[in-house]
Amino acid sequence: MTAAPAPFQLNPEQRVRLAKLADCLISGGAGMPSASEAEVHGPWIERTVAARPDLGPVVLEAISLAGEPAAALETLKTEKRMTFEFFAFAVAGAYLINPRIRNLLGYPGPAPAKNPAFPDEAESYLEDGLLDPVINRGSIYRPTPRS
Amino acid sequence: MSPSTDRADVLIIGAGASGSVAAKHFAEQGLSVVMLEQGDWVKQSDLPGDKPEYELLAYKDWHPNPNVRRSSSDYPITTSGTVEQIGMFNGVGGSTILYASCWCRAKPSDFRVRTLDGVADDWPLSYEELEPYYNLVEREYSVSGHPDNPAYPKGYRPPLPAHPINGPGRTLAEGMNKLGWHWWPGYNSIPSRKDGHLEQCVRAGVCMFGCPHGAKASADIAILPDALKHGARLVTQARVCEVPVDDRGRATGAVYIKDGKRVFQSASVVVLAANGIGTPRLLLMSASGRHPNGLGNSSGLVGKRYMTHPFGTSVGLYEDELGDFSGPAGELVESMQFYETDASRGFVRGSKWHVIPAGPRPLFYINRWANGEGTKDEPFWGEMFAPKMKSSINHLIEIMVMPDDLPEETNRVTLDSERTDSDGLPGVKVHYVSGENTRRLVDFNLERSLEAHKAAGAYKTWITSRNNPSWHNMGTAKMGHDRETSVVNGFGRSHDVPNLYVIDGSVFPTATGVNPTATICALARRTSEYIVKNARNQEISA
Repeated sequence: MTAAPAPFQLNPEQRVRLAKLADCLISGGAGMPSASEAEVHGPWIERTVAARPDLGPVVLEAISLAGEPAAALETLKTEKRMTFEFFAFAVAGAYLINPRIRNLLGYPGPAPAKNPAFPDEAESYLEDGLLDPVINRGSIYRPTPRS
Repeated sequence: MSPSTDRADVLIIGAGASGSVAAKHFAEQGLSVVMLEQGDWVKQSDLPGDKPEYELLAYKDWHPNPNVRRSSSDYPITTSGTVEQIGMFNGVGGSTILYASCWCRAKPSDFRVRTLDGVADDWPLSYEELEPYYNLVEREYSVSGHPDNPAYPKGYRPPLPAHPINGPGRTLAEGMNKLGWHWWPGYNSIPSRKDGHLEQCVRAGVCMFGCPHGAKASADIAILPDALKHGARLVTQARVCEVPVDDRGRATGAVYIKDGKRVFQSASVVVLAANGIGTPRLLLMSASGRHPNGLGNSSGLVGKRYMTHPFGTSVGLYEDELGDFSGPAGELVESMQFYETDASRGFVRGSKWHVIPAGPRPLFYINRWANGEGTKDEPFWGEMFAPKMKSSINHLIEIMVMPDDLPEETNRVTLDSERTDSDGLPGVKVHYVSGENTRRLVDFNLERSLEAHKAAGAYKTWITSRNNPSWHNMGTAKMGHDRETSVVNGFGRSHDVPNLYVIDGSVFPTATGVNPTATICALARRTSEYIVKNARNQEISA
């Protein structure tokens, strides 16, 4: 019987390292927090890896890189591009599932929200004659040629 | 090998878009129907779109590329040439589980490519011959759209009203009007109000990840229940490995593998609905002494002429908030301005454009910035991630340019005996290189799309991608009148095996420049009706 994979857990040192690496990727700005301020290295990376167990090894590999964080990431990007891409994806994923981040970006909720159209909503977008110029120009197709 | 219990009137291989349409019609007409599907039912509750982790989940277990999903119902696909990925979904509902539901009829000129533009082939039927079947399947697929589009002949009136075009659609439409270019509200196989088995669309915008709200017309929800209600029998996790023929050359049914055992299902008529990759795969796997190059392959064309829609995308950034968090995704608006041939452009054929809302998929913005043609050399990770995401989410419109694609025999699907599926059956190799005409077509339309963004008020525009995999697989069992240059006739019947039919996108002689599902379903419905009407004269195995 194959043993279940060990749950993804980071020790405090690993979390500190992840925070530094994540801040190299997402340092904040434009009213948005940095990755560490958004707790990417805390619960959100765990939620991310829980959804995507295949990202766990990638995160651990990135954390294990020695040296100054920015330089380590640059080396990873140069020498193991796919690993870099997946690590960046994991960090971005963890950042973007934080409901506080979604709220700052304007999303109506932590997950895609239901927003059914009102009965006349479709017409309201067209009611000032938006389609009239298209209709008035007439047909733009080539008909079936007569054989 | 275990024999099946009963001989079915019709055996359908594949429970996707076309297989479901056919099964429903056959069953409603009183024929006994058995469907074999290598995958399983999808539980709506498993779909990721209502979960906070939806994008993370979607890009792995619900990815359109079977090489990424790697589920037991998938088979390996090795690509070469300019196509990097192939998309499909192997399960009940087929690729409609993940399709965007952009519903698009082909246009009259698509059926007369040779006659009108001097390239490729004419289809063995006309738009007018297929139109009644478009009408029928649009009712079945709860298609929503605005009537009387001048890009089509009169009479194209979808059964349900169009969805709102939302802010992005409105903004682009205003720009298109300034340019005097065609646009129209999008057509979607997503009901704008409760219809049949489907709920009203709630505009969550996660259509391409599967709809967790039961509001997208995937075949498993919209069509199959009616087929099953009328007596069709569906066997899931049944991987067909061969369609045998008798010594008179009639198909006798299919051999499938289930739970590691081979089972034979007998049938009077066999219908292949396994998509433009799966159908040629099965035909090639069914090679025998009588059909050494694959079943029904006297023309040598099975697997050849693979076509896709290698689409391009461009984006524009807008100062104002667009209200871009709503679907359908699905298309908000489309344009046929550059669809018909104008040879002065340096290519023939054309492209449909459409806008699928970008807002509901924040992770995908990274690709637009970090890998976009116009922006990949700009800083992104680090200090610019947050500002760029903030400036683009809810402020971006993406135009997708879908090009017609011309057939080349060198673009082909073949068997790959070195990489096998979970039952030991060969995977496939897909070799595809975009032709010069397609490349010029995409280039031209991308440049025009940048003009459209600017006319609509974009302050920054760039081309984000070219040569994207469209997940549209076509052309590998070409239909035509001449048995030497086609695999099936105008009703999808094999030229070589009189009780074998193909009803999926494999039969397309040309790709058209539109999403293929509408035409696939219409052809399936037409072929089904033909089979029923001609049942008395149908040659079958004894």
